Amino acid sequence: MKDIGLRIRKIGFLIISLLGGLLLWQLFTTFSQIPSFIFPKPIEVWQRLIIVIQDGSLLKHSLITLQEVLFGLLLGLVAAIITGYFLAKSSFVERVLAPYIVASQSIPIVAIAPLLVIWLGPGILSKILTSALIVFFPVLVNTVVGLKSVPRELYDLMRSLQATPWQRIIKLEIPAAMPVFLGGLRIGATLSVIGAVVGEFVGADKGLGFLVNVGRGLYDTALVFVAVLTIVLLSLGLYASVIFLENHLLSWQKRNGD
Amino acid sequence: MRRKILFMVLLIILVTSACAGADGGNVRSDDLTHIRLPMGYIPNVQYAPFYAAVEKGFFEEVGIELEFDYSYETDGVALVGANELYFSVVSGEQVPIARAEGLPIVYVMAWYEKYPIAIVAKTEQNVKTPLDLVGKRVALPVFFGANYVGLRALMGEVGLEEGDMTLESVGYTQVEVLATDSSEVIVGYSANEPVQLQAQGYDLDVILVSDYLELVSNGLITNETTLADNPELVERMVSATLKGIQYTVENPEEAFQICFKYVEGLEDADQEVQFDVLKASIDLYQTDPYGYSHPEAWENMQRVLLEMGLMKKEIDLEDTYTNDFSK
Repeated sequence: MKDIGLRIRKIGFLIISLLGGLLLWQLFTTFSQIPSFIFPKPIEVWQRLIIVIQDGSLLKHSLITLQEVLFGLLLGLVAAIITGYFLAKSSFVERVLAPYIVASQSIPIVAIAPLLVIWLGPGILSKILTSALIVFFPVLVNTVVGLKSVPRELYDLMRSLQATPWQRIIKLEIPAAMPVFLGGLRIGATLSVIGAVVGEFVGADKGLGFLVNVGRGLYDTALVFVAVLTIVLLSLGLYASVIFLENHLLSWQKRNGD
Repeated sequence: MRRKILFMVLLIILVTSACAGADGGNVRSDDLTHIRLPMGYIPNVQYAPFYAAVEKGFFEEVGIELEFDYSYETDGVALVGANELYFSVVSGEQVPIARAEGLPIVYVMAWYEKYPIAIVAKTEQNVKTPLDLVGKRVALPVFFGANYVGLRALMGEVGLEEGDMTLESVGYTQVEVLATDSSEVIVGYSANEPVQLQAQGYDLDVILVSDYLELVSNGLITNETTLADNPELVERMVSATLKGIQYTVENPEEAFQICFKYVEGLEDADQEVQFDVLKASIDLYQTDPYGYSHPEAWENMQRVLLEMGLMKKEIDLEDTYTNDFSK
């Protein structure tokens, strides 16, 4: 009962905070006399939102971006987990690959996105790879940290129980590394949206990044706001999905804690 | 607490400075009017007339101190529309699009006479006329701006539709895309991409949009407030720019030399190619008289933009441009 009351209060605060933000935005744009093409009013953004919902364009572009994000996230995750496992297990592999991996992180994604368009063409593949590249590093780091943080005594225990390598991975390493890995996935999931949108900025004829570009090209700043807010919602949705996954996968930890 | 107050003060300063605009957002020194001029593209030899006008003192003679701003073209238009800046260099199609969205900008000087967009293909693609585009994969940077408008205007002139070919947005990578055969045809600036590709040894077919249709091309805009309250500043700005254009037409080699100061990396670039880019640009300048834009070009542009759906409503073209400052 106490929990329900707390939850209602939290939701109430969230609604008040959102409404307060909207009110401040409306007051600021009304009294500052800033033209709509520089900073549109919330009502103008709302009207634009209704138009793009009704004509189906927002859904169409959102689904394209979502598709790029999900494939990019999947590709980035698989690559990061495999690389991370070998980095954590072999100091030789770590010594050979670490300089390249760290150096690759200093390359701005916007600088290589045009090259990906040249190499892979202007289709969805270049956006998926941009998204995967940006997801790779945080997930990789957390995979390595998670695997390295498994206590040595537990390995000894598995050995004494004569566990096979596969059993060691399934029963020990994955559960033990999971909390840290999921921390990396939280960051990776939100970054994956940025990666896909950067790819669309460089060259695309669909997607939310393209919609931002169209809005800018036509001085339709309300459309830019609609697209940006949709990108934010997409990121938040992915973040919430990871939290949900985390609660589900780590429920055993909570049970043990209880 | 003190930190919080400092943060709030900084925030207020930031917001209020962002909203400043009463003076057009321009800082003025004692005797020179400081003008920040958005160019719409990166530093390039194509801007030689502006660089030459600065170096030869044409702007200083009329009391203007020029600062180049290489931000996006649309940002420049928006800032001029909001009276945050006095002037911007823009492509012609931006003016009716922006006015239809309520931006009170006015085109005050034509720089290019010919619309600079070209359709480019390797000769083996056999693209000799616009009708040869049927069934081809055509790459362009984005689905708005001069490249897209130029292509669509050309297509409209010969009765083609978007479905007749495959259009691909490749960002500003047209040279690489055509060189690697990722696309069969590219759309670009006639003074840039074809020149770069020909320098790399490719045999090309080039179709100029301006051979089929007269459209308003690159020029200088201001806003209605500046034009009404400070026409003398517009006069000074235009006259100095036109002198720079004239100087570049008459002295291309000297103008090219001036570019070295402004275009980073020009020393290491293929200078023959870069000079060819400038010469090809100069071919597009020849407005007669200098700075004049043709009413027919405006009517064509408005018609094309309305047909494309890039303008929601028709606008009064008389308010859109003026030839009062042309020489």
